[in-house]
Amino acid sequence: MPPVSRVLVVDDDEGLRETLGEVLADDGYEVRVAWNGRDALEKLEGWDADLVILDVMMPVMDAFGFQSSLEERSRPVPPLILLSAAPGLSTAASQLGAVGVVSKPFHLKDLLHEVDRVLQPSNGTAPTGA
Amino acid sequence: MAVTQTKPADRTSAPPKRTLADLAHGPEAIRLLVDAVLDYAIFLIGPDGNVLTWNQGAERIKGYKAHEVIGKHISMFYTAEDVEAGRPERVLRQAERQGRAYDEGWRLRKDGTRFWADASVHALYDHGRLYGFAKITRDMTDARAAAERERQLDVEREARLAAEEALRARDRFLSIASHELKTPVASLQLSVDSLLLNRERGNLDQGRIERGLERIERAVRRMSALLVELLDVSRLERGATEFHFTEVDLSGIAAEVIDRFAGVEPKDRILFDLKPTLVQADAARIEQVISNLLDNALKYSSRPGPVHVAITPTEQGALIEVRDRGVGLSLDRKDRLFEPFSRGDNAVSVPGMGLGLFISREIVAGHGGRISAESGGDGKGTTFRVTLPRTQSDRAHAPG
Repeated sequence: MPPVSRVLVVDDDEGLRETLGEVLADDGYEVRVAWNGRDALEKLEGWDADLVILDVMMPVMDAFGFQSSLEERSRPVPPLILLSAAPGLSTAASQLGAVGVVSKPFHLKDLLHEVDRVLQPSNGTAPTGA
Repeated sequence: MAVTQTKPADRTSAPPKRTLADLAHGPEAIRLLVDAVLDYAIFLIGPDGNVLTWNQGAERIKGYKAHEVIGKHISMFYTAEDVEAGRPERVLRQAERQGRAYDEGWRLRKDGTRFWADASVHALYDHGRLYGFAKITRDMTDARAAAERERQLDVEREARLAAEEALRARDRFLSIASHELKTPVASLQLSVDSLLLNRERGNLDQGRIERGLERIERAVRRMSALLVELLDVSRLERGATEFHFTEVDLSGIAAEVIDRFAGVEPKDRILFDLKPTLVQADAARIEQVISNLLDNALKYSSRPGPVHVAITPTEQGALIEVRDRGVGLSLDRKDRLFEPFSRGDNAVSVPGMGLGLFISREIVAGHGGRISAESGGDGKGTTFRVTLPRTQSDRAHAPG
C-alpha cells in the first residue's frame, strides 16, 4: 500500500481550515492545519507535506512570505493549491508556481477534485474510497 | 524692393527726405504716432463727453469712420443697459475726480456686434481747468474668450479628475468589500457542502452537525456585521444618518463596551478610568465609536499589551481617550487614517475593511465633536481622543 499523502491546509479563517481539514482527513489524507504562513512553516518541521492548500492574504505571514521562507530553508516547496478571495489570483499563482487555483467561494467537490488531480495524477481517485 | 536695389550713387541725386527723427520733435509727431496704432482705439473726448478725435485703431475696433463719430457722445459705443445705468457719464466723472478711470465691459461696434473692451480714461487738465479726456480702448474679446475657454477646460479637467478618483475609490471599495464578503461566504458554503457530503456518505453524526452549525452561525454573523458596516458607510457618506440625542452618561456606555470585550480578553488587559460624564449624545452611536476605538486598540496591539480607556468631563463637554501600546502610526498614515478603507500599512494582517475609523469620525462630526489620533511613531502605540460638546446647543459655539 502506498504511504498516505500529507496535506497542509493554511487559512486564517478558522471555520474554513477546520472544516476542510476534517473533510480531507475523512478522505484518508494525513492533514495538518495552520492559520498563517509562519504557523505553516512550523507545521512543516519534520513533516514533509505532499500538498499545501494555501490562502494568499493572511496575517503575520502571507503566501509569498511562506513560499520564499521555504525556499530560503532550501527545502523542496511542495505543490501549492491557492485558495483565495483576493483579486489577481492567477498572477499570484504564476508568481508562486502554484499547480492549481481555487477562488473563494468554491464548491467542496471542485476543491477535492483539484486535490485528487495533484495527488493522484494517474487514476484521479482519493487514497481511500470516496 | 526698390530700396534694396538702389545704388548708393542714386541716393545722392534723390530729393532730401525727412527722417522720423526730424519729425519726432515737430507738432505732427503725436498725431502720426496715435494714428499708426492699430491695436488701440485712442481718441480725445471733450468735457461734455463728445468725441473730438479718432485714430485708425478706433476705426478698426469700433467700425466707425472719423466723420461718423466726431462731435457725437460716447454713449453710442455703450450697450443700452449701460447707457440706462449712466455708465458713460459715471466713468468720465470718476476720471475727472481721480485723474483716471478704468472701464472694462461689453461695447457695441457700428454693425451692432459686441466686443469686450478694456479701456482707460485719463482726465486732461490745463491750469486746473478740465480740457477733456483721453480714452484708450483695447479689444480684448479674443483674449477674454481664450481665458474663458482655458477656465472652462480647467473646470472640466478638475471635474474629470474628481470623477476618475471617485471611480477609483468605488473600485477600491468594491474590491475590498467583495474580498471581505467572499471570505465568510466561502466558509459558509464549505460548511454546508461538508454537511451535505457527510450526509451523502452516511457519516453525519451529531458532532459534525453541531460543529457545522456553529461554523455556519459564525460565518453568517461575520457577513451581517460586514453588511451593517457597509450600509453605515453609505448612509454616513450621504449624510442620511439621523442622530437621536438624549442625555447620557458616557462612563456607563464605556463600561458596557468594556464588559463586552473583557469577556474575550485576558484579565487586566483593558484598563479604565471612567468618570461620570453627562452629555447630549446618541447613545447607540457613541457606543459604536467607543467600541470601534477599543476594537482597534486591541487589534493593533498584541496581547498582553494593555489598552487604556478613559472618560473625563471637561469644561466644554467630554473627552474620550483610548490608548494602546501597539504598532503605532507613521506620520503619513495619520492624515489618511480616517478615510474609508484606509488600513495600517503595518497591519496588513488585521482582518476587516478599515471602515471603523471613518464611521467613528462621521458619528463624532454628527455630534459636533472631534476625533484625533496621536502616536510616538511606528511601534510606539497610539492614543485616540474624542471630544464631544456637552449639549447640542453648545456645538455651534464650540470652537471647531
